[in-house]
Amino acid sequence: MQHATTLSQPSASAESSRARLRAHFSKYALPYLLILPSLLFLAAIEFYPLGVGISEAFKYHNRVQPWATRFVGFGNFIQALQSHDVRQALRTSFVMVTGIVGFSYLLGLLAGLLLNQKVRGRSIYRALILVPWIAPPIMAYISWQWMLNDQLGTINRTLMAIGLVDPFDPIIWLADPALAMLSVIVVGTWFRFPFMMITVLAALSAIPDELHEAAALDGATAMQRFRDVTFPLILPVSIIAILLQAIWTFNDFALTFVLTGGGPANATTPLILMAYREAFQRFNIGYGTALAVISLVLMLALGSVYLRLQARQEADS
Amino acid sequence: MENVPAAEAALTSAADRTLFVPRGRRRRAEQWVRSGVSHLILILLSLFALLPLLEALSTALKPKSEIMAGLSIIPQRPTLGHFEFVLGQTDFPTWLRNSLQIAVGTTLCALVIGSLGGYAMSRWRFRGRGLYGNTLLMVQMFPGVMLGIPLFLLLDDYGLIDTLWALLVTYLTFALAFSVWMLKGYFDGIPREIEEAALIDGANRLQVLWQIVLRLAAPGLVTVAVFTFLLAWNEFFFAYIFLVSRDKMTLTLGLFTFVGQYTTEWGYIMAAGILTCLPALVFFFLLQRALTRGLIAGAMKG
Repeated sequence: MQHATTLSQPSASAESSRARLRAHFSKYALPYLLILPSLLFLAAIEFYPLGVGISEAFKYHNRVQPWATRFVGFGNFIQALQSHDVRQALRTSFVMVTGIVGFSYLLGLLAGLLLNQKVRGRSIYRALILVPWIAPPIMAYISWQWMLNDQLGTINRTLMAIGLVDPFDPIIWLADPALAMLSVIVVGTWFRFPFMMITVLAALSAIPDELHEAAALDGATAMQRFRDVTFPLILPVSIIAILLQAIWTFNDFALTFVLTGGGPANATTPLILMAYREAFQRFNIGYGTALAVISLVLMLALGSVYLRLQARQEADS
Repeated sequence: MENVPAAEAALTSAADRTLFVPRGRRRRAEQWVRSGVSHLILILLSLFALLPLLEALSTALKPKSEIMAGLSIIPQRPTLGHFEFVLGQTDFPTWLRNSLQIAVGTTLCALVIGSLGGYAMSRWRFRGRGLYGNTLLMVQMFPGVMLGIPLFLLLDDYGLIDTLWALLVTYLTFALAFSVWMLKGYFDGIPREIEEAALIDGANRLQVLWQIVLRLAAPGLVTVAVFTFLLAWNEFFFAYIFLVSRDKMTLTLGLFTFVGQYTTEWGYIMAAGILTCLPALVFFFLLQRALTRGLIAGAMKG
């Protein structure tokens, strides 16, 4: 207390701010108690493993020789950035994300615009188009794999029946590098376009009808109405959806793991699948987590953009 | 993409040039063409969406000879043999029970913990509220593989690898992000006056939450329940790294092992696939109207 008087101002204000904090916590004890269970799970299942993971990324740690574990600083990251395979995997991730998110947005926009009109049976169409989003992806990927089978798959058989493909020289959808990438993008688009449709529908439903009527009265054609009225208004929400989908596509393990296994050679191995292989198949925990940390950093960069846009969106509405 | 409006614009201007057609008929013809094009595109999109399921159903119902030779998507001599085999002679029923347990358990926990968090966020402006909300949004961006590696090491230390508990706590945490945010949205829509009246009558906050708010937010609870159920039912990666024994597996993981086990027996694999997605689809279509309405209203919050 004596000290407090001699030092006067700063400590007194510190004291009062501490008192304010205490008052705040006792006034809001209940909400803090209410969020506690979710905080505990977040800490145990997200943040603690995240911390462990980040520390592992700076170690040499192989489960086959645990005694050799040691701190290596940025060694894993340097090794990763110099590796040809990692650069190829990053390129693959980029192509996949661009292709899947781009096409799924285009299809989602098309479906959303059509279903925003008074089309007969639109709730049926809407429900059917949502199926890819509801069905277990694994089941669908296996079914796609079967459809893309070069000998017996429906796609090749149909093309053979029409005469577009020679039965003795079938298209090897999943065994040719370029075609395998194409297949991955088509199947990824299949899985993701329903979410885009819902987002577009949600954004469209927020546009007042009067805007369109006013534009129509001014003599704007349908194309002009879309370009000048509709699209600018759904753009903010669209960007958020595109960012989210880009993050989820980048993190998607099952698509390539089940559909192509990352092959042929490494043609469809994105970074995330490579991290998995290093850690779980080669038991290279350190190197594997370093690859995962690289993904995490990239995703957090995209994620912070998403959070900023989301906050602006909430402030507007 | 600008196809639709572009096509519409083209149609309009083409119609404007045909001066000889009486106005009423011209407009009706134009509308007819336009809705025809809309329906055609929507039918194609629906077919694309349904393709893998139709293919699976068709293969599952065909006898083996037809799978190898037939081209028609409609089975000529449909059989339930593949379904009988999957349900009678494989571990499928065990996996079904495991998946049900995990999905139902995760859903119940997510509803309780999610509504507590959502209620706190909706009713109080406490310090750290924004941080809490943003953290929930941010964890959706963590790569599963990033968490999977350390979680595996951790659960291994506690002897939880190869148990259903490992999956339950993991799925629950992932479900919290959208549960808290969606329920907050629903709670925001419930007027505070109703609660204040009850508080004056002597009820405490938790009684108010339980007896009034949750009842009024029932549609929100249903929506969150369906999404949590689907998340747990459909998840593959964590099941794949956490589970080892065949009798502990979930449906998606079991289905995946079928591909290795019955490599060329596509009838069995597809029958198991259809059975795996059936509960999810039935669930969804029963609640479809309410869900899509809720989704469209709150799509960007979750």
